[in-house]
Amino acid sequence: MLSGRVLEQLTQPFLLFLGLAIGGVGLCLALPRRRVNPQVIGVVLGGLGIGVVLLGLGLRNPDQLPNYNFYIFGIIAAGSALRVITHPRPVYAALYFILTILASSGLYLILSAEFMAFALIIVYAGAILITYLFVIMLATQAPSEDQLDALADYDVEARSPMVAAVTGFVLLAALTTMLFRGAPDLVEPGEVHPEALLAHMPNKVTPERVLVSLEREGVLVEGEEFVSLDPMAGTVTLAGVDGERVVDIPDDLGVTNVEAVGFDLLNDHPGSIEIAGVILLMAMLGATVLSRKQVEFEEEAKLRQSQELAARGGVFSDKEVRP
Amino acid sequence: MLGMSDMMHMASATLAQAGYPEAMSTPALAHYLFLSAVLFVIGIVGFVTRRNLIIMFLCTELMFQAAGLALIAFSRFHLHHTGQTFVIFVLTIAAAEAALALALVVLLFRKKDSLSGEEWREMQG
Repeated sequence: MLSGRVLEQLTQPFLLFLGLAIGGVGLCLALPRRRVNPQVIGVVLGGLGIGVVLLGLGLRNPDQLPNYNFYIFGIIAAGSALRVITHPRPVYAALYFILTILASSGLYLILSAEFMAFALIIVYAGAILITYLFVIMLATQAPSEDQLDALADYDVEARSPMVAAVTGFVLLAALTTMLFRGAPDLVEPGEVHPEALLAHMPNKVTPERVLVSLEREGVLVEGEEFVSLDPMAGTVTLAGVDGERVVDIPDDLGVTNVEAVGFDLLNDHPGSIEIAGVILLMAMLGATVLSRKQVEFEEEAKLRQSQELAARGGVFSDKEVRP
Repeated sequence: MLGMSDMMHMASATLAQAGYPEAMSTPALAHYLFLSAVLFVIGIVGFVTRRNLIIMFLCTELMFQAAGLALIAFSRFHLHHTGQTFVIFVLTIAAAEAALALALVVLLFRKKDSLSGEEWREMQG
């Protein structure tokens, strides 16, 4: 398929690279510096660059835009991510990172991944970021009396912002060009039956529950009986006084996102769960070993201890040995 | 004039499960992939430029976020849940990484009483 690999199908290359260049200049200006510090201009320019690229995407495909909430959450996510790396104070950087998490969980919601959206908030914003905040507060030098607001030397200034912004621009241009050239070749999925999973959930679709749900929807006619359920077709067969008829599966019996993800996790990836558990255990052990306080004896104390040990014949005993 | 409940209803209708079983179009997917690439590059630029060890590790978390967003977008595009399952494992690895990295940061801070990454430039390779 030769015609598929063309960047122009998705966006105008001129707008794409213009937007990326504006964003790169903005990123360079936004990084913290010692003397002149035009951070606000930098953040505005960065947002403008992202906006130009999104505009280019939208102009070429005006009828295939994402949900409008994408723009709200996307701008919040990108802007607060920019603040994470440009804010000189680590505590504020961590707080802006929480904002990025919240915005991207909003994006997960638009993509109908409800379970992951809330798991992200609980695990990231609730656990990981709080640990970060703890460490930031633990590992900070106590400020001196006269300058309580003083920043640490390494927070004031970024390391070579110009080179980093140029590298970032090149990397982003390469990434987006590759993505947009390859995207038209993606094969869209065929017919998908979300209800097909119901075949694996016999406890969810008992005849009584199907009948109750159908009655709530007002589909059920008096005196009808449940005959069978066809998950692949998404239909229920009912038998009444004047023969059998086929109706759709009621909406509230459909497979929810949590059920589908849980089924996929436990049915298709059982080994990966075990490995993830082992990794977490190892990380816990490693963190404990790394961060424990090492007690260092002084030379004299070490010598005395080894002499005491030698006097006992190399054996520890409960009783104190007195020379 | 829209009432509050009307607006809530509109928001819930457009936000969650936005036309779930229907496939997402390729241009819509490209929007998400672009945002994911932007987040990744912001993370990598931050990792290279900032000199505070804690912020450097925060930037790796930003890159994890970008990867997760791309995975979820592809999961929605292909209408297949394995992408979301994979994000669970990404979260696991991110948690393990955060625990180890922060333990390391605390250890390094105790040794030199500074969070600057440049204090450790003798560790080359």
